[in-house]
Amino acid sequence: MNSHKVISIRNLTPSTYVIRMEKKDFTFRTGQYITLGFSGSIDRREYSIYSAEQDDYLEVLIKEVEDGLLSKRLKKCKPGDELDVDGAFGHFSLKDDEIKSKKFMFISTGTGISPIHSFIHTHPEMDYTLLHGIRHKEEAYESESYDPNRYILCTSGENTGDFNGRVTEYLLKNPVSPDTICYLCGNCHMIYEAYDILEKQGIKLGPIHTEVYF
Amino acid sequence: MKTIAFKTLGCRLNQYETDALASTFQNNNYKLVDFESEADVYVINSCTVTHQSDHKSRNFISQANRRNKDSVLVVTGCMANNAKEELESRDEINYVLENDNKSALFSLVDSHFKGELKHPSQLDKDLFAYGATEKGFHTRSMIKIQDGCDNFCTFCIIPSVRGRAKSRPFQAILDNVKAVINQGAKEVVITGVNIGRYEFETYKFDDLIEAILNLDGDFRLRISSLEPDGFGDKFLGLLSHPKMTPHLHLCLQSGSDEVLLRMRRMYTVKTFRNTVEKVRAIRPDFNFTTDIIIGFPGESEADFTESCDMIKNLEFGHVHAFKYSIRKGTRAERMTDQVLEKTKTERSEILRGIAENSKLNYRSQFIGKIQRVLVESTDGNTAKGYGEHYIPVQFEGENLKKNTFYSILIKDIAAENDGLLLGELV
Ligand SMILES: Cc1cc2nc3c(=O)[nH]c(=O)nc-3n(C[C@H](O)[C@H](O)[C@H](O)COP(=O)(O)OP(=O)(O)OC[C@H]3O[C@@H](n4cnc5c(N)ncnc54)[C@H](O)[C@@H]3O)c2cc1C
Repeated sequence: MNSHKVISIRNLTPSTYVIRMEKKDFTFRTGQYITLGFSGSIDRREYSIYSAEQDDYLEVLIKEVEDGLLSKRLKKCKPGDELDVDGAFGHFSLKDDEIKSKKFMFISTGTGISPIHSFIHTHPEMDYTLLHGIRHKEEAYESESYDPNRYILCTSGENTGDFNGRVTEYLLKNPVSPDTICYLCGNCHMIYEAYDILEKQGIKLGPIHTEVYF
Repeated sequence: MKTIAFKTLGCRLNQYETDALASTFQNNNYKLVDFESEADVYVINSCTVTHQSDHKSRNFISQANRRNKDSVLVVTGCMANNAKEELESRDEINYVLENDNKSALFSLVDSHFKGELKHPSQLDKDLFAYGATEKGFHTRSMIKIQDGCDNFCTFCIIPSVRGRAKSRPFQAILDNVKAVINQGAKEVVITGVNIGRYEFETYKFDDLIEAILNLDGDFRLRISSLEPDGFGDKFLGLLSHPKMTPHLHLCLQSGSDEVLLRMRRMYTVKTFRNTVEKVRAIRPDFNFTTDIIIGFPGESEADFTESCDMIKNLEFGHVHAFKYSIRKGTRAERMTDQVLEKTKTERSEILRGIAENSKLNYRSQFIGKIQRVLVESTDGNTAKGYGEHYIPVQFEGENLKKNTFYSILIKDIAAENDGLLLGELV
């Protein structure tokens, strides 16, 4: 475990923020997560890495959870604070031999877009479609950083996105072609339902690419 | 001659480590005695995977202290990592030795008797520096290939007590296997925390297994516990190798996909079932054994029924079922919909009944067939050991010898004796 200095905090909405930290000699595979906590504290939580492999800083995208311990405390961090970073962990990663040759469907809800952001910014040349499910348009975190032709915003709480409804409803109306490689990240219910839909649509998922936050 | 007694809790890896440590003490003129006897040194190789294991470990600590107040009492294993401060504050415990120092137990105890009191932090840290287990407690020779786990299943404390996944060098493993075969080991058991994730330089788990299977000698290979992710078709192909035993302990944990997702397991019920079916298509009597957690947070009646159905459908040869218990510091500790203890107990009873039936059904198919049994204990006339499918078999004969293979025709199953197979020499 190493201590990393906070460089900046970027507030994206009143409750969601990006912490940028110094990278030091930390290495990871895009899609992996770290565990984060205040230096010396035993309370630690998992966060997907938001930044790209080649960036010279480390970023995480965090949403405050109601009654949450760490997501609230981390929001109050200041530049110069020290955070303990452990990792990188996880097997939610791209396969080298598929990156350039395959078509990808990324399906995420809320901050589940974080590892996808890292995928796309590490490999901008990928052939992908990104579905991002949120309630209100303000939660379309840094949507301008994706190719608008590849980014589909699904808003379930209001009709302000590209699609009005949940990502699962979008998938039912817009079947995914079976030769697509799918990565699902976010809450358990979305992943469970989306997996089922994709399977019925004939996707040969191969190993399951899922990252459950909650 | 000084006497030493071990008590081992939990997994096979702990068992392997105890065996290896015991051998080192024996090779250095210590006498190994039962834990129930008075000894100069007591070692408790603890486990912390459930509350029950913590409870048992504490019990054994008290027992050792009662047996000989002047003994050197060492607590090692996962509880030593997880409850270090609590254990260090207990006067009766001389040393609390974390997992990464465990292999240096002999040096610690030896120094103690020489009057040189070492602090465990002064000891070498090496996860693989265990000696051979030639005088251990088992005929099976366990080989440790890796330690630690990076999977971080939401219920599991192991990553924080065993640390991150580390694989032992490829050649060192092959040398170790060759050495135990040369010493007469007839069954080699591959062990570790998450062995399917073995990775050393360019070698993966299946490369390692292939290389071991290709070694010369009259031995058979057993894979201990395997996670259902992280291996591919090459490994499944190796299961047909004549030296490979037709048995895998493949940890299912739940038959419900929703529960598996919340556990952050990396497979679905369907992929698990496919693995079993693929293997059994080639070898229909292949023995799958498994672990099931009962009452994981949010487990509904329907989820539980799905676990029961999986056991019925896949006919596991043995199910190790345990009630979910909260482990501090895990994600599942913070899940709100914990299942009532009473419900967990009721579900346990139902599931155990189903598992028992499944075991008897599965094992009954061996009546009339031959098993190659490696004898683990015998008085010369009655012998007990395991067949290649890892089912216990008992038979009679004359001059029967330990650590010897016998071909046994299975005649009956002792349902009242945990499904023990009864056979006769052919
Ligand atoms: C592999 C992995 C990667 C993750 N990556 C991210 C990420 O990139 N960004 C991010 O914001 N979060 C991520 N999370 C979730 C994160 O680890 C924490 O769970 C979250 O920040 C809440 O922590 P807390 O201490 O504030 O809440 P806690 O004090 O742990 O929990 C408070 C209450 O909220 C509930 N709760 C916990 N997490 C959530 C949640 N996500 N949604 C709704 N309720 C919840 C708990 O059950 C509890 O009742 C990830 C989780 C995992 C397992």
